[in-house]
Amino acid sequence: MQMQDAMAAVAAVDLVKVYGSGDTAVRALDGVTVGFSRAQFTAIMGPSGSGKSTLMHCLAGLDTATSGQALLGGTDLTKQPDRVLTKVRRERIGFVFQSFNLLPQLTAEQNILLPLELAGRKPDARLFGHLTEVLGITGRLAHRPSELSGGQQQRVALARALVSRPEVVFADEPTGNLDSRSGHEVLSFLRNSVRELGQTIVMVTHDPRAAAYADRVVLLADGRVAGEIDRPDIASVTDALHNLAVAR
Amino acid sequence: MSVLRTQLAGVSRRPTRLLLTGLAVLVVSFVVYATVLAQEITKRSVLDGLSATPAAVDLVVREGALTTTELAAIRKVDGVAEAVGRFDTGAQFGREYLGITADPGSGPLAVTSLASGTFPSGPGEIAVTQRTLERLGMQVGATFAVTLRYDKDGKPLPPTPLKVVGVVTAKGDFGFQAYAPQPALTKMTGGNELGQIDVRLQPGADPQAVRQQLDAVLAGAKNAKPDERAKVATGAEVRQAEAEAAASDVNAVFAAIGMFIAIAVVAAGLVATSTFRIVFAQRMRQLALLRAVGAGRGSVSRSLAAEGALTGLATGLTGALLALGAGHLVPAVLGLFDKEVASPGFPLPAFAGTVALAVVITVLAVIAPAAAAAKVSPLEALRSAATTGARRDIGKLRWATGLLLALGAALVAGIVVLNLPARDAKDYHPEPMLLAVVGSGALAFFALIALGPALVRPALALFGWPIRRAGALGRLAAGGVGGAPRRAAAVSVVVALGVTLIAGVLVGGSSLRILADRETAASAPADFELTATETGAVVPAAMVEQLRKRPELTDVAPYRRLDVKVGDQELDINDLVVGAVPELKKIDVTAGSLADIGPGRVAISGFTAEVTGLTVGGQVQINAGKRTAKLRVVAVLPDSVPLGSAMTVDPADLTNLGGSAQYSGVLADASADGEQGRNDGRKAITDVQAAAGGKWKIDVLADKRDEVNEQVTLLLVIALGLIGLTVLIAVVGVGTTTALSVVERARESGMLRAIGLSRGGLRAMLTTESALYGVIGAGIGVVLGVPYAWLAVKALGVNAPLTLPFWQLAGVFVVLVLLTALAGVLPARRAAKVSPVAALGTE
Repeated sequence: MQMQDAMAAVAAVDLVKVYGSGDTAVRALDGVTVGFSRAQFTAIMGPSGSGKSTLMHCLAGLDTATSGQALLGGTDLTKQPDRVLTKVRRERIGFVFQSFNLLPQLTAEQNILLPLELAGRKPDARLFGHLTEVLGITGRLAHRPSELSGGQQQRVALARALVSRPEVVFADEPTGNLDSRSGHEVLSFLRNSVRELGQTIVMVTHDPRAAAYADRVVLLADGRVAGEIDRPDIASVTDALHNLAVAR
Repeated sequence: MSVLRTQLAGVSRRPTRLLLTGLAVLVVSFVVYATVLAQEITKRSVLDGLSATPAAVDLVVREGALTTTELAAIRKVDGVAEAVGRFDTGAQFGREYLGITADPGSGPLAVTSLASGTFPSGPGEIAVTQRTLERLGMQVGATFAVTLRYDKDGKPLPPTPLKVVGVVTAKGDFGFQAYAPQPALTKMTGGNELGQIDVRLQPGADPQAVRQQLDAVLAGAKNAKPDERAKVATGAEVRQAEAEAAASDVNAVFAAIGMFIAIAVVAAGLVATSTFRIVFAQRMRQLALLRAVGAGRGSVSRSLAAEGALTGLATGLTGALLALGAGHLVPAVLGLFDKEVASPGFPLPAFAGTVALAVVITVLAVIAPAAAAAKVSPLEALRSAATTGARRDIGKLRWATGLLLALGAALVAGIVVLNLPARDAKDYHPEPMLLAVVGSGALAFFALIALGPALVRPALALFGWPIRRAGALGRLAAGGVGGAPRRAAAVSVVVALGVTLIAGVLVGGSSLRILADRETAASAPADFELTATETGAVVPAAMVEQLRKRPELTDVAPYRRLDVKVGDQELDINDLVVGAVPELKKIDVTAGSLADIGPGRVAISGFTAEVTGLTVGGQVQINAGKRTAKLRVVAVLPDSVPLGSAMTVDPADLTNLGGSAQYSGVLADASADGEQGRNDGRKAITDVQAAAGGKWKIDVLADKRDEVNEQVTLLLVIALGLIGLTVLIAVVGVGTTTALSVVERARESGMLRAIGLSRGGLRAMLTTESALYGVIGAGIGVVLGVPYAWLAVKALGVNAPLTLPFWQLAGVFVVLVLLTALAGVLPARRAAKVSPVAALGTE
């Protein structure tokens, strides 16, 4: 396991997260230390209950850790008040969820520009145009989410995540609700944005085919880091998962 | 039954949910039972007061021809301990009415009790009440000339001097009551009729036997036809009848209050329907699961209805019990302030009725949502659409129903408009027209309920544009409301109901006030009036000059009166200079203009116009003794001319008709405003008239004007207070709707937080959504309420003007928006406290 240096875009240091108390306490994260480099596409994988979604939520400042540090650039998110975290979410982080999570009463364009509006910032028209063109949704901008297919909705969500030029984009099972073709489009886009825009992407997934698009895979099991794969492909990822399953 | 059990198990884990759904019904149950208790307290307190018929009266003889002869005969009957004859007569003191009532003054059968001085013992003496003493300017020990006797044509005979020997207290003090013993009064009036004879029996006497003897006496009365024969009733019967009359007054008042409460009940039902809908929608998955494992539609809807009934039972009981507690607390608290009121007791039937009402409202409210929820397909258990009101459209049936109802409302309103009365229509009955206005309003309201969801977006666009302009938050809030139009409509409709009623009361009230102003302008044209206390006495010109010199007074306007004849009709006219009295500008004329009065031109009252058939432009011949004058009518007033006369003429014409050079009275206004100015003015007049001999009376007309104004304000405040009930229910509805909605939009809230909305921002957004319900409701309420109020005012037929109290209505709008925003504050705080991830994880 490689400890990234201060150039890491996101890092966890001995992160612990416990849910509940007493007899029903669950240690979702049991001392995780891992770093994610800039301009890299990293996938976090593991069986269900391994703590991967929890790790991402803590790294993104969506959830508070029980102990340890969650570093975004130089900022330790575990110590910040909600005010600061809100600002972080607005300006330094972008999200893509499994269930799209678009506001049903806004059009696609309004959904994309929402975080910027909330921040009171003007959108970069060129970036907006570029994103919508690359994602192939230029013709659907005036439509409401109910009028878009699942793949189109997820692409709108991607545009929303990227239009504010975040330091990091967190994606939680972004292809979970998509058919394989739409899924391929989304993952290609994510990979290209790393190459072309220098974007840092951290993706949680359980699908080896999705993980194969990443530059690096971090494996989690039972709340701890259980391995890494550099330059993954489907075979190596499936192997690693198989070994994990067998070892338990 | 197991379906019901699972639902109840869920409910018992989160009992606050139950409370929220039933909160509106709880409030209404509280109000209903509290009103019943208030009615009990009032009735009992009223009955505790003085009864008109003293307790010692055993038998009452009345409703027939009675004279002093019968009284003498009754006194001789075996078993009669005491018999008292009662009658009253009307007398005139100066220009004032004085009612003189026969009363023994002391003893068990007296209805008065002596406060100071002595009770009259013979003819020529009277006792008066305190207010009469003050109002008529009398003093104990002084003698006054009172016109008591009239000849057979009704003309007054020379006045009788009466000495005021004492002050008494009686059941009601209206300022025109005097008392004297019956024999003395009979002598003074010269007649021998009696209105009633009260009889007290000797202890041990048999009432039945005495009654029969009394009947015999009455049967034997001279010249008494059978249908004129007086009847005998027991004292108990008469007191009971009086109590029932008093109670029926109380009942009438509470019936009126009940009308407002009925509206609040309807509002509570509407709110309950909406909240049940929300709650069931949030349980969609659970219900779908039950259906998936085999529960039938009927079973699910029945269990949901049963849950509703139980909610009604629980909230009805709670509300009624709270009201019971409050009702017993009130007499205790008032007792601490030395105000005695009766305790309400525990009216059991009303209690059961209130709880039953609560159950009925909730069951009615739950039927539709239960049926809709039971229709859920088992597949829903696997999907995650947990919102109500996701449907934007309202279906053809609802459109058709709504448009039909709206058409009906317009039709009825149109009929009313076409049948509005002319200015001074005779034989006009406002009741059916008012009923039609109410009916049209009700139809319009139901149309609003049917078409509600379709009106939400337009209403938002129209009334809510400032909020939508106010940045991303405003637009999010507007989007949130507009995105769930059914829910928004359900809540806003109740707000609209409350605001429509308030707008109606304010608009109607302001018209009423102007009308009252007009009427008082005629009867109280200035702040003060100075007149002489004896008939025929005058106000010397020198005194008028003195008054004019005083700086505390202004607009001093002297006038003269004269009794004249027009044809055979005897009328009283005055020569008040209309321009000298600023208040008279407010007066309303049927035709012509008061400003046209001048030499040869006269203004006449409506009564005069009726009797003589004169109109504007006509000539009237006025005779005063040997003098005569021909004058042209330039104005007709609806009621009487100022100062209660039949006509107002120019001073030159009055002089030509033989009017004395001395004045009959003077009007004046206070120069300065307010209480101090009025007191200074009054003191100035008092000083002037005291310096000239003190024989004059001062009427502070301004007090009368204030009294009327206060009564109108009181009426308005009471009406607004009662409507406040419905507004309260509406605000409760907004609060519970927001609280329940927040739960199901947890995912959306979480997402907003995840992309960067701060806690404060989320709170602001949810509070704004709450406020928008108020905006839509208040906007629609004002738009509906004002025209209907105008229609009702016109339909009353009292020739009241149409007004638009703009600032009052604007104030109501703002207050309602603030109230609804406030209702959303607590739910917003709870929503903002949840961490984004927990919110995102909800399903």
